[in-house]
Amino acid sequence: MPIEQNRKPSKQPGATGRRISRRKNEPERSQTVIIPQLSPEVLEKARRAAAAGKTPQQIEREAVAAAEEEARTRAIDTGAVRAATETAPEPPREPAPKPRPARKTRREAEEELYQSIHDDHLWLNNPVMVRGLGLAPIVAMDINGDYALMLCAAAALLLTATRVLAVAICHLTGNRFRAVVYTFSAAIVYIPAYLILYELFGSSLTLLGVYLPMMVVEPAIIKRLEAPEMETPGEALRRGINNTIGLCVSILLVGALRELLGAGTVFGRTVLHFAPLPLAAQPAGGFLLLGFLAAAWTAVGGAYVHYKQEEVRHLYADRKH
Amino acid sequence: MLTASTELTVLQAVAQFAFYVVLAVFAENVVFSRAMGVSRLIKLVNDPEIHTWQYCTPVILVQLGSAPLGWLAMTYVSPTLRAALPDWLPIAALRPLIYLCCAAVAMAAVWLLLGLLPAAWRRPCREQLPIATCTCSVLGTLLLCAGQNYSLLQSTAFGLGSGLGYLFAVLVVDEGRRRLGSKDVPAAFRGLPSSLIYIGVLSLALYALVG
Repeated sequence: MPIEQNRKPSKQPGATGRRISRRKNEPERSQTVIIPQLSPEVLEKARRAAAAGKTPQQIEREAVAAAEEEARTRAIDTGAVRAATETAPEPPREPAPKPRPARKTRREAEEELYQSIHDDHLWLNNPVMVRGLGLAPIVAMDINGDYALMLCAAAALLLTATRVLAVAICHLTGNRFRAVVYTFSAAIVYIPAYLILYELFGSSLTLLGVYLPMMVVEPAIIKRLEAPEMETPGEALRRGINNTIGLCVSILLVGALRELLGAGTVFGRTVLHFAPLPLAAQPAGGFLLLGFLAAAWTAVGGAYVHYKQEEVRHLYADRKH
Repeated sequence: MLTASTELTVLQAVAQFAFYVVLAVFAENVVFSRAMGVSRLIKLVNDPEIHTWQYCTPVILVQLGSAPLGWLAMTYVSPTLRAALPDWLPIAALRPLIYLCCAAVAMAAVWLLLGLLPAAWRRPCREQLPIATCTCSVLGTLLLCAGQNYSLLQSTAFGLGSGLGYLFAVLVVDEGRRRLGSKDVPAAFRGLPSSLIYIGVLSLALYALVG
């Protein structure tokens, strides 16, 4: 039985005589009816036709036909224009200019490189291996991992706090009496630092002897007093932390190495069953070991700096300045 | 009128003084045996603008002046403070502050004393005076004397000897630096590494000599 027979005819008034039917297998079509718009000219024609005595059906048919013709004409014009627009050869577009980075001169690039080297307190400008600061406690007392840990904790507690406190006081005193301000700031910071260290390490702290209180005048802690320009507390904090990290890395490295060479252990754990260089536990051995370590450190750091300088030279080879 | 026993006591004191000076210059040298003030020493010998005497004169005078003050602080101030401090605050936490005060007083006295020198010598010495005072060799010597319970005579002799020992170390290292400036030294060893190795060799020689 065909499906159409079961359908009831539409009783809507707008659907007179034209029933839209669709078979099951047919694709669904759009049922939108396009009604051409009636322009004033079409309406005027219809009025004249009515005056001429034509029937309404004829007038309607002619008006619809005229409107369809007008719509078709307009569509052709529009399409032609669009086609003409689309097919017309476009002038070759220039690529959008990329935002140019600020051109640095070679001198600026080199200064930037040197600044980055100067700020690298961990490796390229290490306070111990490169600048030779903080040597007294490292040479004399940094003989094993435990001592290294105590020195490391003391440096961490003293260095940054001293620097920030001294800078704050220097701002009050107009940057005068820097030596006194820095050393006494370190001595004041030493009081709570000692209490904390005593809580952490107990009576083992006395093993460091005079080298623990002597850290308040250690150049690694108060080196800044020699610089006439005053830094802000924020800069002091940042540089203090960087210096602390570099100092602590060196202390731990030297302590572990001297313990390994002097006793064959690292932080109390046996690594070698003999002591390769017992002299390493003495100050003389400390000087020698630190010298060779600094040479290796400088060689590697120098090679890296040379590579970076060559890189800058090649990158900015076409620039005169 | 001097008696024989008085003369003997004076001679003994002089001998003891000389002994402690020599001990501090050689056997207990602040640089070679205790590594105190090495960072400043290496910077000093590499700085052509600072002469040795310009830095070492204030160091010697400050050490000589601060040693009796350190003895006073150890003998009188520290016991008084220890009794007055609360239980949670040990006197060890205040040791740097106490001995830095001694060094600061000595620095003020030396600053006045340097006024007796001609202007050409006075100004550079006064420029280096604060940095010379705030060194490990000065504070370390004071702390060592306090730790060893030295008498006034011994402290003064040890302070003077430490200052002279520092001068001795600067002269020796400076001479070595001149010789180490040769092109035969590998580039990686120039500067700080060669200075450290050189001081290490000298320290080893002194260690072998003293035992």
